[in-house]
Amino acid sequence: MRITLDVDRCQGHGRCYVLAPDLFDADDFGHCVLLVDDVPAGREDDARTGVENCPEQALGLE
Amino acid sequence: MEADDEGRSPSGSVVVDLASADDPRAMSRMLRQQRVHTIEGMFHLLTRREDVEAALRKPAVYTSRPEAVQLGNIRPLIPLSVDPPKHVKYRRILDPLFAPKHMAALEDEVVTLVNQIVDRFAAKGSCDFHEDFAVPLPCTVFLRLMGLPLADLDMFLEMKDGIIRPPGATQEEQEPTRRRTAQNIYAYFEKTLAERRRAPTDDLLAQIMGSSVDGVQLTDEEILDICFLFIIAGLDTVTDSLDCIFGYLSQEPEHRRQLASDESVIPSAIEELLRWESPVPAVPRVLSEDVEVGGCPMKAGEHVMLLIGAANTDDAAHPGVDSVDLLRNPNPHLAFGGGVHRCLGSHLARIELRVAVREWHKRIPEYELVPGTVLQYTEGLRSLHHLPLTFAPAG
Ligand code: HEM
Ligand code: SF4
Repeated sequence: MRITLDVDRCQGHGRCYVLAPDLFDADDFGHCVLLVDDVPAGREDDARTGVENCPEQALGLE
Repeated sequence: MEADDEGRSPSGSVVVDLASADDPRAMSRMLRQQRVHTIEGMFHLLTRREDVEAALRKPAVYTSRPEAVQLGNIRPLIPLSVDPPKHVKYRRILDPLFAPKHMAALEDEVVTLVNQIVDRFAAKGSCDFHEDFAVPLPCTVFLRLMGLPLADLDMFLEMKDGIIRPPGATQEEQEPTRRRTAQNIYAYFEKTLAERRRAPTDDLLAQIMGSSVDGVQLTDEEILDICFLFIIAGLDTVTDSLDCIFGYLSQEPEHRRQLASDESVIPSAIEELLRWESPVPAVPRVLSEDVEVGGCPMKAGEHVMLLIGAANTDDAAHPGVDSVDLLRNPNPHLAFGGGVHRCLGSHLARIELRVAVREWHKRIPEYELVPGTVLQYTEGLRSLHHLPLTFAPAG
């Protein structure tokens, strides 16, 4: 499972990195930085939580 | 325009009513039956999640040009009334100052301020939550953040209300107060900027004064226009949210106990109650070109209200959002707006709300509405006129 980030859509709501801080981080502007591309085994639920709470649909799973 | 199922058509006051309604969810449900409502000569309303989200994402079409919001300001509010590409410049300066990591440093100070405010009435066993807590807290935090004297609190509250809640029933009647208040705000910050140039400080205002993009610093006018917006955007909104959250909890003891007994519920409870109450029910835009939504033509220059509150309870987009679940996951709500104008202060607001709810419930876990109280919500932005609470006197 891979996480994708559309940087043009991310507006820095910060939902992802607050809810799953070891998968997502913030840059200096509060926008999302992916800490992993491939979701580690057992962390699928956290990845889904981060992705699905994004109000901008900037994150995806594939 | 079609009438709704109760035979009424939305009137021009619908956005105002959405904030003040006892049950804005019911009103939103009725509005969502139609994708667009047109209120002749005033504006269009977009009611559904999908359409609101699409509009937020097209700032070149659904613009925030200055005529979208007229609040007595003589120049555009920065960054609210600025469109891309210029908007990007301002957000590049302001975003780092309001980023979560930066805001987290404030938490301890907010804890102290919240407890000082609770100290004033805890032993009495009653308070008007609105007057005694929800109004002073955000303003006090803001003064501290900007390095302004706490003695200016009352003046700030007057300035905020003079713009957001001026006396008078119509725009025309409200206009003189707005204009006079706006002049006072500009004058206050002009004086402050001059003082700061003589005696530099180390606070948010100093950081804004010292920041630059591509080597270019902000002009004094730009700084004034940012400060003006902070007063409008950053004080009343937090008061509204506190009123909404505590108004809800005072009437829903099970939910109150759920978060009072387990602090870890608080962050998601706050997201959920922001979604449910949507204290800012709508954001305004002006069309730059002709568009059509759901077969309804809208013309360049016309005003559109994006009903983020109605979008937040749109169960066609997200099943189950027509009830409250303090542990809702996922909860991708739009209470702070969306797209490029996403609330700059959202991370600050979240800290204020989180600390307020946590510290309050540590000291006053049980409270109730003074018997016989009928809650009345305000127009435009959803706060309460009064929220009288009683509780066992606490230390
Ligand atoms: C819970 C409290 C708050 C709520 C619900 C809220 C809501 C919103 C919303 C919905 C918008 C979008 C407006 C639009 O798209 O036209 C917005 C923008 C804004 N908010 Fe907040 N806000 C809150 C607190 C704050 C605070 C504490 C500040 C502190 C300074 C603040 C500063 C701003 C600014 C500067 C903008 C304009 C951003 C831009 O246009 O780029 N807000 N807010
Ligand atoms: S939740 Fe979405 S918009 Fe917010 S920081 Fe994460 S990716 Fe960006």
